[in-house]
Amino acid sequence: MRGLWQLAWNELKLNLRDPMMVFWSMAFPTLWLAFNALIFKQPIPGSGYEGLNYASFLLPGTIGLVILSASFVGIPITLTTYREMAVLRRFRVTPVKTSTLVLGFAISQLAFAAAGILVLFAIVKIVFNVQVLGSWLLFAGVTFLGMITFLAIGSAVGSIARSVRAANIMIWTVFTPMLMLSEIFLPISILPAWLQPIAKALPLTPINTLLRDIVYGVQLKDLWRLGVLAGWALVGGIVAVAFFRWE
Amino acid sequence: MNVIVECEHVVKRYGEVVAVNDVSLSIKEGEVFGLVGPNGAGKTTLIEMIEGLRAPDSGSIRALGLDPVREADELHEKIGVQLQTTSIQPNIKVGEAIKLFASLYRHPLDRPEGLLQTLSLEDKADSRFRKLSGGQKQRVAIALALVNDPTVLFFDEMSTGLDPQARRNMWELVKAIRAQGKTIFLTTHYMEEAEELCDRVGVIDYGKIIALDTPKKLVSSLGAESKVFFETGDKDITAAEFGGLPAVGRAEKVEGGFVLYTQDNNATLQELVRFADKRGFRLGDIRTEIPNLDDVFLALTGREMRE
Repeated sequence: MRGLWQLAWNELKLNLRDPMMVFWSMAFPTLWLAFNALIFKQPIPGSGYEGLNYASFLLPGTIGLVILSASFVGIPITLTTYREMAVLRRFRVTPVKTSTLVLGFAISQLAFAAAGILVLFAIVKIVFNVQVLGSWLLFAGVTFLGMITFLAIGSAVGSIARSVRAANIMIWTVFTPMLMLSEIFLPISILPAWLQPIAKALPLTPINTLLRDIVYGVQLKDLWRLGVLAGWALVGGIVAVAFFRWE
Repeated sequence: MNVIVECEHVVKRYGEVVAVNDVSLSIKEGEVFGLVGPNGAGKTTLIEMIEGLRAPDSGSIRALGLDPVREADELHEKIGVQLQTTSIQPNIKVGEAIKLFASLYRHPLDRPEGLLQTLSLEDKADSRFRKLSGGQKQRVAIALALVNDPTVLFFDEMSTGLDPQARRNMWELVKAIRAQGKTIFLTTHYMEEAEELCDRVGVIDYGKIIALDTPKKLVSSLGAESKVFFETGDKDITAAEFGGLPAVGRAEKVEGGFVLYTQDNNATLQELVRFADKRGFRLGDIRTEIPNLDDVFLALTGREMRE
C-alpha cells in the first residue's frame, strides 16, 4: 500500500490541471441542470414528480451524469493513456503493486467525482433551491456506492481495452444506453413496457431511482439492487486487477 | 568482488528474429559495464530482461541474486532504472514526480528532493515534465532512478538524442554515481561513451556478444596501428627515411607531409622529433590517430558502427 496516497493525491492534482476533465466533471453537469431547469421549470405532468421543482427532479440524474463522467470515463482513459504513453512502464520498474496503482488512480477519481458533486450541490442549492425530502445521509451513501461501482467497472474497461481508442468505444457503448435509459432525463415509467426491464438492469438505473426516491422522501423499494451494485463493483475490481496490463 | 548480475545462455526470440542469442555475462560489484552495439543489436532487449520487464525464452538471469521476473518487486526495491524513453505524467511537476516515485519504495532516500540539486534541476522543481528539454527530461529520469538509493543502476541509451554539452553532463553524472560505489549497467551505441565511462565493455551484434573486455584490451587486441601525421615543407625527404624509426611499420607520403603507421605512437613521436632535429628539417602540425572501439567494431564485423 506504500505510495497509495501519494499516487491518489498526484492524480487528483493532474485531473484538476486538465481543462477537459474539469469541464466535463465539474462545470458541464451543473450547466446541464441549470439549462434544463430554466427551460422546463416544471416536472413532466402526470409523471408523479410534480411535488418538487424541476431542478430537484433533475438532481439525481445529474449526479448520475457526474458519476459517469468523473468516475466512469476518467479511469479507463487514464489507464489506457498511461499505457500507450509508457507511463505505466516507468511504474513497472518500481516495486509498486498493480492493486496499489489501480486503487490510487481510483481514489483520485473518487475524490474528483466527489468534488464535482459538491460543486453541483452548492450551486443548485443556492440558485434553484433544490430540496431533498429524505435522508441526506442515505443520499450521500447511495451516491458513494454508485461512484465505487462505476470506478470498478471503469477500471475493468481500462484493463481490458488495448488502446485509448478501444477504451473510448467501450466507454460510449456503456455510456449511451445509460444516458437514455437510466432515468437521467426521463422517468422509467414513461418508457415502453418492453424497454423497462432492460433499463432496470443497467447499473446506473438503481442509483438514479434510489436517489430520486430519497429526494421525494418516498418509501425505498427494491433495496436488493444495492447488492447487485456491490456485485458489479466486486467483479469490476477483480477483472481490473486480474487483467491489468503494464504495456 | 560480488557478482551483481549473472546471465547464462540467455535467448530471446520475437517470431523469426533472435533478438538475444545465447548471451552469457556477469557484472561485478562497483564496475561500470557497457553493452555496446548498433541499433537493433539486442541491447535493450537484454537490459530489459535483467530489469524484469521481459522474460527470457531460455537461459537464466540472476540480478542481486534474484529472479528478475518472479521476484520483480524485491528486485525493483534495490535497482534504479532509466528506460530508453522515460515518460511520466506529462503535467506532473518535477518536484512532485520525485516525491511520488520516492513514496513507492520501502527505503527511499531521506531527502529525495536533494536530487534536484545533484542533477541541477533546482529551478525546474515546479516545471511540468512535458515542458522540459530532452536533456532535462533525461536528468529527471536519472533522478527517478536514484530515489531509492539503489545498489545497481541501469541506463539504457542515456545520451541518445542529446546535444554534446548535455551528453558531457550525463557522463559527469555517471562518474559521480560510480564514485559512490554503485554498480552501473549501461547500453550505448556511442563508442566514445563506452570508452569514456566503462570499466568493461561487451560488444553486441545481431544478439550475440562478440567481444567482452576492458576498452583498452579490446583496442590493443586488434594489434591495430596508430597513425602519426606530420607536415613538412622539406622536399628532399623520402618516406623510406622513416622506416628505421622505432615501432614504425611503414611510412607513406601524403599531401603536404607524411603518415607513419606505428605500434607505439609515443616512442615514434619522440624519435621523430629527434630525427627531424638531426636531419635538419622542420616539423609542423603533428597529429596522432589512435585506434578506438569504433575500429574494434569494424574489425569484428566488417561494418561501421554508424550506418
